[in-house]
Amino acid sequence: MKKLYVMLASLAILAMTVPASAHFQMIYTPDAALNKGGKIPLALVFTHPFEAGHTMDMGKPEQFFAVRSRGENAPKKIDLLDTLKPITWTSLTNAGNAWETTYSARGGDHVFCLIPDPYWEANESFYIKQNTKVIINVGGEPGAWMEPVGIPTEIVPLCKPYDRWTGNVFQGQVLLNGKPVSNAEIEIEYLNHKPLLDKKAFAKEAQATAPQDAFVLQTIFADENGVFTFGIPKAGWWGFAALDLDPDYTHKGKKCSRDAVIWIKAVDMK
Amino acid sequence: MFNKKILITGILALGFLALGFFPAGICYAHTPLCSCYDNADGTITCEGGFSDGSSASGVEMRVEDKSGKILIKGKMDEDSEYTFDKPSKAYKVIFDAGEGHSIEVSGKEIIE
Repeated sequence: MKKLYVMLASLAILAMTVPASAHFQMIYTPDAALNKGGKIPLALVFTHPFEAGHTMDMGKPEQFFAVRSRGENAPKKIDLLDTLKPITWTSLTNAGNAWETTYSARGGDHVFCLIPDPYWEANESFYIKQNTKVIINVGGEPGAWMEPVGIPTEIVPLCKPYDRWTGNVFQGQVLLNGKPVSNAEIEIEYLNHKPLLDKKAFAKEAQATAPQDAFVLQTIFADENGVFTFGIPKAGWWGFAALDLDPDYTHKGKKCSRDAVIWIKAVDMK
Repeated sequence: MFNKKILITGILALGFLALGFFPAGICYAHTPLCSCYDNADGTITCEGGFSDGSSASGVEMRVEDKSGKILIKGKMDEDSEYTFDKPSKAYKVIFDAGEGHSIEVSGKEIIE
């Protein structure tokens, strides 16, 4: 009996020391900086990007839209919710409900914003709601990439998110209801397995190997103004998730982690 | 703080000018940009601008045939856009923001 207690206690300790799962809401499109306009694919997948691991079932999003801005023109909102089509996305370990669409992108900045349906994380007994942004540009003419869109939780880039060389830094400011979140905790993951849009799956081949679990999910904190800085070590898409920005927030009477996610893409100098 | 920065930058810039730091004139730090799209309704829309985000409103636009004959002429509107009826023959679009700031777009490259 004593042995059983010891074993159970050991298992409990082991369970507590397993790194927290890094859920990342993705809005994926292959390129952030396009030379020419045209139709681009978008996939909305809720997953663990570094390991292309467990992919969670997404409900129908509450909102999905783009804000297009070009030069000094006023930004225009384009509702994309009704264009979404349900798909099944296959990770390396399972398959989950996801969404896809195509978007006609002309010149300037396009800020894609997703307000997802809260996800019930049964293992941790709370909901997760990751409001997510991705900013792409067509043709090089900038727009309002630096302006808050005004969604409840948001990471606002302080440097052009689509012009980062590998080795540059990325800076952002974490906002809750438009106000900076002091010392916000931010998790960072690299999109380590290429999304294969035609197969609606992650590629098996990884771009990088983590020497230890801590490297899978990097953690940094914002300063008192909600500003964080991250040096980008490798080309590709990087996701930043500012966690639990509104600790008292609930959904259906249960705790709901209200997060803000942004994805940026860095490219190598060649 | 922002206004103060602009003020200081402006004073410095004027100071440099007065001291003759830019004898050959100030170089433009932006490049002209112009992309055209076929609206699939018999019209073409061109969007112009500059790489620093400044407006191209008022910039001259010309639609010319192969020989350079002007088919249509106009200006970028307040949203830095110019829409024209698609010519029935081969054409090119010229975004003309002055010397060193003009762009030519071949009609063949203009797609939806």
